[in-house]
Amino acid sequence: MRAAAGSIRSHDWLPGRTLLLAVLAAGLCAAPVLAVAWIALTGETGDYLRHLAGTRLTTYLATSAVVAVIAAGGAGLIGTSLGWLMARTEFFGRRTLGWVLILPLAVPAYVAAYAWLDLSHAGGPLQAMTGGLFPTIRGSWGAGLMFAFVLYPYVYLLARNAFAGQSADASNAARTLGAGPVSAFWRTSLPMARPAIAAGLALVVMESLADYGTVAHLGAPTLSIGLIRAWSGAGSLVDAARLSLVLVLVAILVFGLERAQRSRARNVNAAGRHKPAARLNLNGATGLAALAACLLPLLLGMIIPLGRLAWLALRTETANGLAAASLHSLTLAGITALIAATLGLGTAYALRSRTAIATLAARAAGLGYAVPGAVAAVGVIALLSGIQALIDPAWRAITGEVFPILLTGTGAALVFAYLSRFAAAAISPSETALARVTPSLDGAARTLGATRRRRVWQIHWPLIAAGVTSAGLLVFVEVLKELPATMILRPFNYDTLAIIAHNFAADERLGKAALPSLLIPLVALLPMIFVARYLSRQDR
Amino acid sequence: MADLHTVLSIRGAERRYRADHAALAGADLDLHAGRITALLGPSGSGKSTLLRAIAGLERLEAGSIRFGDTIWNDANSHLPPEARRVGMVFQDYALFPHMTALANVAFGLTGPDKQARALAQLEAAELGQRAKAYPHELSGGEQQRVALARALAPQPGVVLLDEPFSGLDRRLRGELRERTVDTLRAARTTALIVTHDAEEAMAVADQLALMDDGRIIQTGAPDAVWMNPVSATAAKLLGDVEIIETRAGDGQAATPFGAVNAAGFDAGQRVNVLIRPRAFALTASETGDFTITRRRSAGPHLNLRFASEAGDWTAQTPSPSSIAEGDRVSVTLDPVYVRVVAG
Repeated sequence: MRAAAGSIRSHDWLPGRTLLLAVLAAGLCAAPVLAVAWIALTGETGDYLRHLAGTRLTTYLATSAVVAVIAAGGAGLIGTSLGWLMARTEFFGRRTLGWVLILPLAVPAYVAAYAWLDLSHAGGPLQAMTGGLFPTIRGSWGAGLMFAFVLYPYVYLLARNAFAGQSADASNAARTLGAGPVSAFWRTSLPMARPAIAAGLALVVMESLADYGTVAHLGAPTLSIGLIRAWSGAGSLVDAARLSLVLVLVAILVFGLERAQRSRARNVNAAGRHKPAARLNLNGATGLAALAACLLPLLLGMIIPLGRLAWLALRTETANGLAAASLHSLTLAGITALIAATLGLGTAYALRSRTAIATLAARAAGLGYAVPGAVAAVGVIALLSGIQALIDPAWRAITGEVFPILLTGTGAALVFAYLSRFAAAAISPSETALARVTPSLDGAARTLGATRRRRVWQIHWPLIAAGVTSAGLLVFVEVLKELPATMILRPFNYDTLAIIAHNFAADERLGKAALPSLLIPLVALLPMIFVARYLSRQDR
Repeated sequence: MADLHTVLSIRGAERRYRADHAALAGADLDLHAGRITALLGPSGSGKSTLLRAIAGLERLEAGSIRFGDTIWNDANSHLPPEARRVGMVFQDYALFPHMTALANVAFGLTGPDKQARALAQLEAAELGQRAKAYPHELSGGEQQRVALARALAPQPGVVLLDEPFSGLDRRLRGELRERTVDTLRAARTTALIVTHDAEEAMAVADQLALMDDGRIIQTGAPDAVWMNPVSATAAKLLGDVEIIETRAGDGQAATPFGAVNAAGFDAGQRVNVLIRPRAFALTASETGDFTITRRRSAGPHLNLRFASEAGDWTAQTPSPSSIAEGDRVSVTLDPVYVRVVAG
């Protein structure tokens, strides 16, 4: 029996096919951004952009900055405190809350915004209860708060891992050097967790910059608003691409800052042997306070807004077409999740081979993190119309007909845009899962006579299944929540839950918007529970 | 040792990971039926690579590995690990984390009675009552025993153990080492144990193989190898040794402690005199040539560092002793622990 030429490392099986998947993932993620950059840099400046540059561009940039700062500040405060409570203390309900606190990720920020504006608008229930004292939640700060309420789990998850992974020795050393417990926290624990917190904050900032529904509803004109107006109002692909490029540059700046933090983190975390810190026992009043601190973000981000929407939905006639829209949402999310999970797993396997191409492909796919949905959509349009223009003359010469329209005819373009934004999100969970299959496990199975097929099904799959499933489910939830790309790329008359909810909310018919708004987090909740429990189990 | 039946034979094994460094640089080794061979070498000497090559997890670039009449690996063939019937105990044990101890042991077995056979194997390791436990529920020692049981269960032609005791604390190590040797002997298995611990290697082995820089530099019975190292490198692998570089003359080699027998070397030939610390006999003497510079107690014996203008050396002498730091001593050598090798 002859083996393939070259080295037989126990882990580099299937290099060819997985490498292909990695390159495909990279292509899907990177192509739209590159198309955007190409159009933006080569196209002619339209009237809209010229007008914009003279009038609203600074407003867009300033509003984006305010929204991002408030979102990051709020999410950072909530996420870091909760992360510390979960990792370092013990109180009644901690174990369950550990994963429940992740669930607000199932609530789209715009859904929270619909409910909070409805609750707090002039003459609304909150103002009635407080005698007009409760401020109406709107504008930049309102939108920032909404993002903080539903996106804090990104910070929470990473901060919790960082605090849990810290050796007690660093803080103990600070204590022996004369620092009190509080000072030791500020001077050792927090700085050591800073890179993780920064990574979480970068995600929060990105998501708030990518959002359209929330800022549109609360009246905070960020860059994405300008982008969507350029496309759907002025109809200019070049202008939209230029604004997209600005947005991507901001995103790259954000992630660049985060990376700069992380490269220094290696020194910070080189604390030597790991000795887990003893949990601080919170009993009585302090325990109750901790419990309240955990329940508050859940109330603000999930229970109050969803409760309000449920109340509204029960009092309003159900809108038409909800069943079809639900089916569309589920189909799009399901297909994208399946493909993304496959691409993510393929890339993770390709990365194991440690070849330069695989690493490059994973990096390129990672670009997707920096691509807001609207940008991905503009990129896909630019790309597909470019291809169309390229093929059309030849097609006509051969068939005598116009080349079929690739763009709006099918949901394929939409799935493409989703993938370019979310496939990257499926890579790192798969990578983490695959890290459990150590080379020696593979080697052990082989020396015990297991064929490749048996190794895959009896060793690899059981160990990675939960991780790969979570990766897919995470993408599923994200697609379900996605609005701007869907608005731009959906086939004519093809509604999703997010679209219906947005259209009714934009028409100020919140009663009608309530049920579709509610259905998104409700559908997303089950997969989110799976993901949350998986992530929390991983940490232990 | 003429009646030894060679089961596995490795010739000229070569493997390099980087262009400038060969992990295996022409290693030769024979494993004999039913005997335990310990492969001793410093880290980076190629021990683990050799082990992985035997298992088939690593492919040789040159040389061959034969098992009986079957070629496992040579210039144009490579039998994959799953077809070799080797049992391997990995350094991290590599127990499948999602399977019980019983399922781990049964993994390499086939046939309708595989559960029963796996259980019997676990019971032989006195782990029958832990059959339902998952790896993370087992202690380090128990995990090692399950890993050994798993490797032995399919009755492999060769069992390979990669630093099998390195993850365990000192006290448990000795106990588990004895148990492992007993198990391997009871199964009459041909085994190769990789270790970087000389004491461990000598305690477990029927045959000792010393490895350095990708080559096997000496093989033989542990006592014989310890008493007659072929080179300074071999001597150092087996324990502390003082090396005096000098030239032979008149069948003798001069040392600061008197001449030692160097029969068989040409006059003027470079030689290394290898002196085990226990060869030094120290006597307190006002007229002695050496001064004690450091005295450290190591329980049953003392480590005494002594110096003269010619250099400084460490002696291992029985404890207790009245010799103190700063004392002058005279030094003689016990020739049993002194060897002269080519320099």
